[in-house]
Amino acid sequence: MSLALENKTSTSQNLISLLNSTAEKNTIIGFEQIGEALQYIEASGIPTAKNEEYKYCNTDAILRKEFKQIGNKFSTPATLPSFDAAINVYMINGRFHSVAGAEKGIVISSLEEAAGSSANGALVKEHLAVHALPSSDAFTAINTAYCQNGVFIRIERNTAIQLPVFIHHITQAVETAFINPRTLIVAESGSNCTVVDFYHAAEGANYFSTHTSEIVVKENAHLNHLRIQAEKENAFSVHTIEAVQSADSTYDASTFIFGGNLVRNNHLVRLLGKNIESHLNGLIIGTKNRLIDNHTYIDHAMPNCNSNELYKGVAYDKATIVFNGKIMVRRDAQKTNAYQSSKNILMSDDATVNTKPQLEIYADDVKCSHGTSTGKVDEEALFYLKARGIGDTSARKLLLQAFAQELIDKVEIPALQENILNLFEASLN
Amino acid sequence: MANEILEEHINSEYKWGFTTDIESDTFKKGLNEEVIRLLSHKKNEPEWMLEYRLKAYRYWLTMKEPDHWAYFQYPRVNFQDISYYSAPKKKPVLNSLDEVDPELLKTFEKLGISLEEQKRLTGVNSNIAVDAVFDSISVKTTFRETLAEKGIIFCSFSEAVQEHPDLIKKYMGMVVPYTDNYYAALNGAVFSDGSFCYIPKGVRCPMELSTYFRINSSGTGQFERTLIVADEESYVSYLEGCTAPQRDENQLHAAVVEIIAHKNAEVKYSTVQNWYPGDKNGVGGIYNFVTKRGLCVGDYSKISWTQVETGSAITWKYPSVILKGDNSVGEFYSVALTNNHQQADTGTKMIHIGKNTKSTIISKGISAGVSNNSYRGLVQIRKGALNARNFSQCDSLLMGDKCGAHTFPYIEIKDKSAVVEHEATTSKIGEDQLFYCNQRGISTEKAIGLIVNGYCREVLNKLPMEFAIEAQKLLAISLEGSVG
Repeated sequence: MSLALENKTSTSQNLISLLNSTAEKNTIIGFEQIGEALQYIEASGIPTAKNEEYKYCNTDAILRKEFKQIGNKFSTPATLPSFDAAINVYMINGRFHSVAGAEKGIVISSLEEAAGSSANGALVKEHLAVHALPSSDAFTAINTAYCQNGVFIRIERNTAIQLPVFIHHITQAVETAFINPRTLIVAESGSNCTVVDFYHAAEGANYFSTHTSEIVVKENAHLNHLRIQAEKENAFSVHTIEAVQSADSTYDASTFIFGGNLVRNNHLVRLLGKNIESHLNGLIIGTKNRLIDNHTYIDHAMPNCNSNELYKGVAYDKATIVFNGKIMVRRDAQKTNAYQSSKNILMSDDATVNTKPQLEIYADDVKCSHGTSTGKVDEEALFYLKARGIGDTSARKLLLQAFAQELIDKVEIPALQENILNLFEASLN
Repeated sequence: MANEILEEHINSEYKWGFTTDIESDTFKKGLNEEVIRLLSHKKNEPEWMLEYRLKAYRYWLTMKEPDHWAYFQYPRVNFQDISYYSAPKKKPVLNSLDEVDPELLKTFEKLGISLEEQKRLTGVNSNIAVDAVFDSISVKTTFRETLAEKGIIFCSFSEAVQEHPDLIKKYMGMVVPYTDNYYAALNGAVFSDGSFCYIPKGVRCPMELSTYFRINSSGTGQFERTLIVADEESYVSYLEGCTAPQRDENQLHAAVVEIIAHKNAEVKYSTVQNWYPGDKNGVGGIYNFVTKRGLCVGDYSKISWTQVETGSAITWKYPSVILKGDNSVGEFYSVALTNNHQQADTGTKMIHIGKNTKSTIISKGISAGVSNNSYRGLVQIRKGALNARNFSQCDSLLMGDKCGAHTFPYIEIKDKSAVVEHEATTSKIGEDQLFYCNQRGISTEKAIGLIVNGYCREVLNKLPMEFAIEAQKLLAISLEGSVG
């Protein structure tokens, strides 16, 4: 299978024919949506730097290079990583593999199984490919058309799940391949749960991931969503997370990025009821040639909601960090409080930080603000530490840790916090 | 209560909507090479100027009208439905003010810039030298002789083409080449007139220089060009004002302003833009698609833009500064007010290239009625721009719940020694602020005026005195009914 994606004008067409020739048809998403997705890819193509949303992230150039097939085939690895005191879910090459551990009040299964079951079939139909519209983005479209058996999580009404749910994304990249993981999480009213997406480092060939998650947070539910990207240089990814919230709910998301070659996150939150709380946080350490692009979109559609965003980035070497955050306040969303902050530190002369915080406001009785700052490590603080006998390297590390701690502290699982801290320190070396 | 007042101000009308009945010499509508040749011939231009126009026109033909990125919808401009030249019919050369068409003088009097009066008060430092541009041509430049004594050249662009071709050849298109964008290319091809200003080495311009633009004829577009060159160690403060009659058609204004500041020079450019904004149903009004850019070419140079934008149906305008010289400074102060169906998308670009460059951006947006007001800006720190510093603040004020206020800052940093800060807020006039004023016997209407003026103070303070007063009045009229 070696059709090259060389033709300058028709990356998307080549891509479709490639994908069609290698992919098994996905059975969980309706034909209509798949049709819409394929049409969208064909019509809009793969975004280039000319596309405003991908201005700093030229995916077309990357996709033209390689990525030749859908790689869903895998063999179970000898050992699977696992976290203690947690429910461990395994996704291998974007396909649901297994789940270890259980707790009363939470259903975890493959999407295929859920779609076929009498208890959850209706939920899958109601939500899958409904929130993350195939026509919203080329990569969501690819995922919609070619995703294989993803994971389904349902937290039952009025239950608080004690154990965190870890979704381990494991890749066996035997040949340059697309992997299309899919997640649907439904937190029913009054429920409470923590879900962690952990993207493990993989050996071998390059791969491209289009993980698409749909997250439904019902009335008065609380969902804590953590995402840790600890992949290697062979990982290229455009991930889309679409969260929809009902009244009185809380969605608390933190993203930690320590690896990957191209990491693009489209994180969208729609606030569709009153008195909603939404938090989006992110910590990004960019090293080597990495391009890490975080797009967030918070859509305030109803009154009396609060949203808060804090993204911090450290750019080393030739890395590029991009933050593009948009706050939309619709006409009816009076009494909205929306805050956004992006702070970045440049550690090298070749590093780049591009930020684009945006406010789009149609209601008058609101308090909205955004702030962004980019600079270097504070020379005075550095001097203070050095004057006390701390070497330059350790002093810088200490200051960066202080910079990052605020976000790491938000992780409430001690073992995971330690894990993140280790990854953070490793990425600074 | 507050709603009633808002309703009231939304109904306020444009005060400069008169037309002047002057016989004018207007081209047939349409654009092709013939029109450009004719235009050039009419202005008795040298061959090189015509070449420039044709090059720009041919380039323009290869370009596509931009439509996808800006924040609004509007009916497309039909470039063949515009007349590219309209001039008051008059004697070829004016020797004194007496020869100016009296109707024209009346117009300027109505606008509040009485050329006669200016003439009488010669030699006083606080005076303003005015270059008045009426439709396509510059009708009168005052104080030329006084300025010439200092070696300052201040004249219409056409005259400069005739009299100072070397300077024009050297500087025209240096900052905004015709390849820059669609409207700059169009302007390059069909620009009719404008102002040229040259401040020689070491001269501090003793008075404010000013250009007044007026679109009068129907079915015309205005395409003027302003070029300001400040040689080493010089200083100039430049003002620009504009109005247009009330019409139910959309007229296009696509101007280009270029500023060049050499070593240690400082240019302060202030605009009060009050083109006809259309009526309260959004019919008519000027499309203001303008390219303004300054180049700090020498070390320690400074360019400062101050603008009060209250007019135009649509404003697209990003006065920018390229900070090329080391230790150069760029500033941008803006108040943009939109009402009724107006749409404004304005902001700035600060491109840091030299070392130790500094830029400041203060933008205040006020939206009322069903208007949309956006700040769109770029701060770019290029690699090697050591110790660059930028501070940006963009505030928006919403009056009523039918309007929109948006902020789209782009911040691109490629040097680790840069310190860049950006902050933006959106809010409405606080109930508590109004209550505080009411309690002290200040009516709600006056209180809103007080608060809006206070909100804009940071920017209004940057305007030269004469303009600050005009700007305050303008804000008051644009928000009539709510501002005292």
